[in-house]
Amino acid sequence: MRSAIKQVASGRFGVTTHYLVNADMIQIKMAQGAKPGEGGQLPGHKVDAVIAKVRHSTPGVGLISPPPHHDIYSIEDLAQLIYDLKNTNPAADISVKLVSEVGVGTVAAGVAKARADHVTISGYEGGTGASPLTSIKHAGSPWEMGLSETHQTLVANHLRGRIAVQVDGGIRTGRDVVIGALLGADEIGLATAPLIAAGCIMMRKCHLNTCPVGIATQDPVLRKRFTGQPEHVINYLFFVAEEVRELMAELGYRSFNEMVGQMQMLDKTEVIAQAKAQGLDFSRLFHKPEAPEGVAIYHCETQDHPIHDILDRRLIEQAMPALENRTPVRIEETINNTDRSAGAMLSGVVAKRYGHNGLPEDTIAITLRGTGGQSFGAFAAHGVSLELIGNGNDYVGKGLSGGRIVVRPDPDCPAIPEDSIIVGNTVLYGAVEGECYFHGVAGERFAVRNSGAVAVVEGAGDHCCEYMTGGVVVVLGQSGRNFAAGMSGGIAYALDEDGSFPTRCNLSMVELEPVAEEDDLLEKLHHHGGDIEHKGLIDVMADMSRHDAERLHQLITNHARFTGSTRAAHILENWAEYLPKFRKVMPVEYRRALAELERQQEDAPAMARAGE
Amino acid sequence: MGKVTGFLEIDRRDRRYAPASDRVRHYREFVIPLSEEATRDQAARCMDCGIPYCHTGCPVNNQIPDWNDLVYNGNWEEALRNLHSTNNFPEFTGRICPAPCEAACTLNIEDIPVTIKTIECAIVDRGWQNGWIRPQPPSEKTGKSVAVVGSGPAGMACAQQLARAGHDVHLYEKNAFPGGLMRYGIPDFKMEKSHVARRIMQMEAEGVTVHANVHVGVDIDADELLKRHDAVALAGGAEKPRDLPIPGRDLNGVHFAMEFLPQQNRRVSQEPLGNVTPILAGRKHVVVIGGGDTGSDCIGTSIRQGALSVTQLEIMPRPPEKEDKALSWPNWPLKLRTSSSQEEGAERDFSVLTQRLTGTNGHVTQLDCVRVDDRMQPVEGSEFALKADLVLLAMGFLGPVQEGLIEQLGLELDGRGNVLADTRSYRTSNDKVFACGDMRRGQSLVVWAIREGRQAARSIDEALMGETTLPR
Ligand SMILES: Cc1cc2nc3c(=O)[nH]c(=O)nc-3n(C[C@H](O)[C@H](O)[C@H](O)COP(=O)(O)OP(=O)(O)OC[C@H]3O[C@@H](n4cnc5c(N)ncnc54)[C@H](O)[C@@H]3O)c2cc1C
Ligand code: SF4
Repeated sequence: MRSAIKQVASGRFGVTTHYLVNADMIQIKMAQGAKPGEGGQLPGHKVDAVIAKVRHSTPGVGLISPPPHHDIYSIEDLAQLIYDLKNTNPAADISVKLVSEVGVGTVAAGVAKARADHVTISGYEGGTGASPLTSIKHAGSPWEMGLSETHQTLVANHLRGRIAVQVDGGIRTGRDVVIGALLGADEIGLATAPLIAAGCIMMRKCHLNTCPVGIATQDPVLRKRFTGQPEHVINYLFFVAEEVRELMAELGYRSFNEMVGQMQMLDKTEVIAQAKAQGLDFSRLFHKPEAPEGVAIYHCETQDHPIHDILDRRLIEQAMPALENRTPVRIEETINNTDRSAGAMLSGVVAKRYGHNGLPEDTIAITLRGTGGQSFGAFAAHGVSLELIGNGNDYVGKGLSGGRIVVRPDPDCPAIPEDSIIVGNTVLYGAVEGECYFHGVAGERFAVRNSGAVAVVEGAGDHCCEYMTGGVVVVLGQSGRNFAAGMSGGIAYALDEDGSFPTRCNLSMVELEPVAEEDDLLEKLHHHGGDIEHKGLIDVMADMSRHDAERLHQLITNHARFTGSTRAAHILENWAEYLPKFRKVMPVEYRRALAELERQQEDAPAMARAGE
Repeated sequence: MGKVTGFLEIDRRDRRYAPASDRVRHYREFVIPLSEEATRDQAARCMDCGIPYCHTGCPVNNQIPDWNDLVYNGNWEEALRNLHSTNNFPEFTGRICPAPCEAACTLNIEDIPVTIKTIECAIVDRGWQNGWIRPQPPSEKTGKSVAVVGSGPAGMACAQQLARAGHDVHLYEKNAFPGGLMRYGIPDFKMEKSHVARRIMQMEAEGVTVHANVHVGVDIDADELLKRHDAVALAGGAEKPRDLPIPGRDLNGVHFAMEFLPQQNRRVSQEPLGNVTPILAGRKHVVVIGGGDTGSDCIGTSIRQGALSVTQLEIMPRPPEKEDKALSWPNWPLKLRTSSSQEEGAERDFSVLTQRLTGTNGHVTQLDCVRVDDRMQPVEGSEFALKADLVLLAMGFLGPVQEGLIEQLGLELDGRGNVLADTRSYRTSNDKVFACGDMRRGQSLVVWAIREGRQAARSIDEALMGETTLPR
């Protein structure tokens, strides 16, 4: 599905490679003006089959985005995410949405230096009726304040020309638009007012799924009531534009650009004289920054994105037979830690041409030797298999979208793999589909916000599987504290050799179970000719509520095969001894939703018959 | 909030009328209330909108979603308290309000609004039945005295609010019984008069003295009133009818609606008609000129009196059957509505101008009419005649009668001839005199009169005491 602007929020729900490549602008939602500091929320009863499909989640389970982006803890991290996205879709502008607040100017300057093409300053006025009560009142601040600070800081640091500044948050009239421009905005975002033009009547039922005019609801009966037409919005915007034109004529401006940042044109005497404004000093808010000769004060340049001469360009070149004719290719290259987001641009091309389902497994098989830079294998698409012989950095497999990543140490490396870090922090953040095998230990927040990828690792740091909603994680060694915090879906199997795992697992949303050995495992193996190697992954992933031992065995077998892990081989050899030491981590909500789905599926044929 | 999904599960169901063939044989009310359970179900349909348009659709700003929820939860007594906090007389509006709240209801976008008026009526009727409605005399008297002239809904609401605030209230009424148009205009079959009488009793217990049969400006000088009282509220209604100055207007059998309707109301309550010729529709062909509510009341009354036929003429074109919601909602839409009286068997014709009345022996026998185009100009060749023994003029009201009261006080009028006063202070050009209801706003609705009466009371209380706790 194409839309001009796509957002990347902290939850990363449904942010696949295919999603990213079909956009003209990708906006990183750092926060929302109406509820700064909180992630988006979609209550479970609104997550129906359609929503679950686009969001790659489980119907009936609520979608809670974490407050922060777990791959952004510094401005450098943000620069990295911008780089990841720019690689995945080089044609799209990358935008960063910030909240109007004191200090936002500094952040915006960072955003400009991090090479975002666009920054949005969001005020507190707009926002959704679905916000939690605590966020509806007394949160955020007016867009005017953040905008003027942003503009002033950008001009002072000679950054203004290369980034477009947009403002939003309750902008309704042509007058608002002109004030926005005078305070320093190149672009103006309108949302609530056009929504109202299309039929929203502000019933504030967005969170209840009972929107009476069929906008914020999944109920087909109510959706039929939606009578909005594109023309309604067009009409509204024409009126806004007309008012802008009239005001511009009054002010004496011929183009919008001329108006940007001309704060002196705001007539403020009357408002400042108002009784409530007494004692407040507005001089900084309305300060017009002096720009030296030749320094732009509106957006008129472009960012220089360093993506012209990178590893992926070489990979794409060599993968041409696969990209053009689906002919499998094998590529060998070396990699360095300055080669960031390896595989992202290539995957963007795959998704653009072949959609989310991409190419058959291993069509583009790449082996890289050396140290991967940050975001190794980010957004790797179906058909792209990346084998890294060496080690990875932070954010390996970010947004993984169907590809396979294997990281294993150089055989000549003297370190003992199962005791050594092989990949960094926040691996598989927002992964949607695909497989990963890491012959070694991962850092913190392994598989945070994983929606569906399968991963095997030989040890993990703190907060493993945080906010996970789908997929399977196997940890063949020690794992850190706070395992499974906020985990609402998917399952994890953790090897617990000393029995201390329960003390390190956050049990507020999950329960621990033994990994059941099912009687019919052997029978099934027999059914498949006893050749477990050939049993597809699809089969073991089909029914997440059972076949645990079978699934675990399969995944560890894969791990041994792809990485040559001696630890995996040892566990498989002593299966009967190790199996009881694994703990299955099962989210309570997930189990309920799976049972519900199963019931529905059982009912479905009966209903179909009844319908006939 | 009612029931979150109530509006999706429960169909709209409203009170029904007794069959026309039965109801035209008497002058009693004929609306059949819903059962308690059905009423609660209907209240469950309210979705407690984030922005409840019904709040402003209702002229007295009833807190509709709140009492809908209370009714849904069976808490009738609290619902009544809530309802009374904005509306002094819900049993009047629950019967004769056209319910603009329902036009504003979010569910009216789909033509299935919550049956607000029915629920309102159920709450207050239950209150009377259970004796929950008692006089609320003030705990302290202020020693101030206020005259209220006119005892229609505006005067009643104003008087009740002022009495509850502790003032000595004197309600002057030129007729024998209080109630204004609710007593003498609106027929019993729409609202029985006992409802008004019951409220007047409550008000008397709260400190209102009713002076019936006192025509201020005739029986007593307006200046005298100013001397006797600390403030005067005028709520005399808009009693001057619009006339039809055409040839034959002075024939016998041509009457204003408000000559005809009060007679029947007096007959029903066995009040002597006084020194007037009876106007009766029995065995006559009746033509009602004017397509509004007053016209409808003339129809219903004529049919009950035994008219041979009733025809209603309207000069405006026939309105559309269904409104364009995108344009009209949440406002009151112009559309074809059929009143219970019209249902009882009246012919309706639109875009008709009456040009002449002719008769024999000084009594009307025929109307000469012509059709008009959309610019209200007669269409040539479209003339036709209608047989009539009784012609009732129900073409609206021009404003208050100026002779007497208003002239004596020398009050300024607005451009339409109503008493000039704004809707914050309700103060006229005379500092001590306030005006509300139809007398100030022109011909309107009972619910608007209640609103104005309440708000004027607040302004008067504030003027007398320097502060007020009465609601606006
Ligand atoms: C036939 C008819 C049917 C109607 N039906 C409806 C309906 O179904 N629903 C609805 O909402 N509205 C209806 N209306 C309109 C509604 O009745 C009026 O808007 C409302 O009654 C106005 O209230 P009021 O208190 O301002 O004036 P009124 O009700 O007109 O009361 C004025 C009172 O003041 C008295 N008075 C006047 N001058 C003096 C004086 N100098 N001294 C002493 N007393 C004086 C009059 O005798 C009268 O009793 C109808 C109107 C008519 C004519
Ligand atoms: S008074 Fe009229 S408008 Fe107000 S709630 Fe009652 S019926 Fe609706």
